[in-house]
Amino acid sequence: MAPARKKKQMKACQSCHKVVEGEACMTCGSTNLSEDWAGYLIVIDPRHSGIAKQMNIDMPGRYALKVR
Amino acid sequence: MHMTEETETHIFAVKTTAKQERAVVDGIYHAITVDPSFKVTAVLSPDELKGYVLVETLEPVARIEELIESVPSARTVVPGETSLAEVSHYLVPKPAVAGIDEGTIVELIAGPFKGEKAIVKRIDTSKEEITVELYESMVPIPITVRGDNVRVIDRGET
Repeated sequence: MAPARKKKQMKACQSCHKVVEGEACMTCGSTNLSEDWAGYLIVIDPRHSGIAKQMNIDMPGRYALKVR
Repeated sequence: MHMTEETETHIFAVKTTAKQERAVVDGIYHAITVDPSFKVTAVLSPDELKGYVLVETLEPVARIEELIESVPSARTVVPGETSLAEVSHYLVPKPAVAGIDEGTIVELIAGPFKGEKAIVKRIDTSKEEITVELYESMVPIPITVRGDNVRVIDRGET
């Protein structure tokens, strides 16, 4: 039987809601990460995005809508 | 061409294969990095909206159809566009314990007691946890579960 492929679990920063792959948030330096998050948002152009304005996001990147 | 700050964006819904919403968001992002001529400003996949992702863009619908051709699991662009006002409620997720009160009868939908009915005894709003007692158990044993692991059956007095 083929070994089960373990899916890489991405984590979300609890303070800035950024979705990160490492052990610390690159933006705010926080290590307060959570695997339990929901809702996925990628902001590409925050200057022209109404969604980013509403979320008060001014940096492009991947975000979680809800982090527990 | 003169670009103003207040450019009008459109929001389109893209139908996806079930449970592939995050993969489609990543796929769309990847397609944009490959071809930056697509003016997409944000891609959103709310947890409540199953089978669709929302694309906020400066492009017309035909360009988005072109964009998702290269994205696996993305199926079609839903005809017609939606507005920011219509999707803004997805951006502020409501707490998992909203609509649950003490005395509410719920069914556990995950964990070892899956399928059991229980009555809500206590609610912890900050942790989004609820404490329930199983309906059919002889002795009352309090069980603390996550707010999204239950389905409300009966709210008691309406």
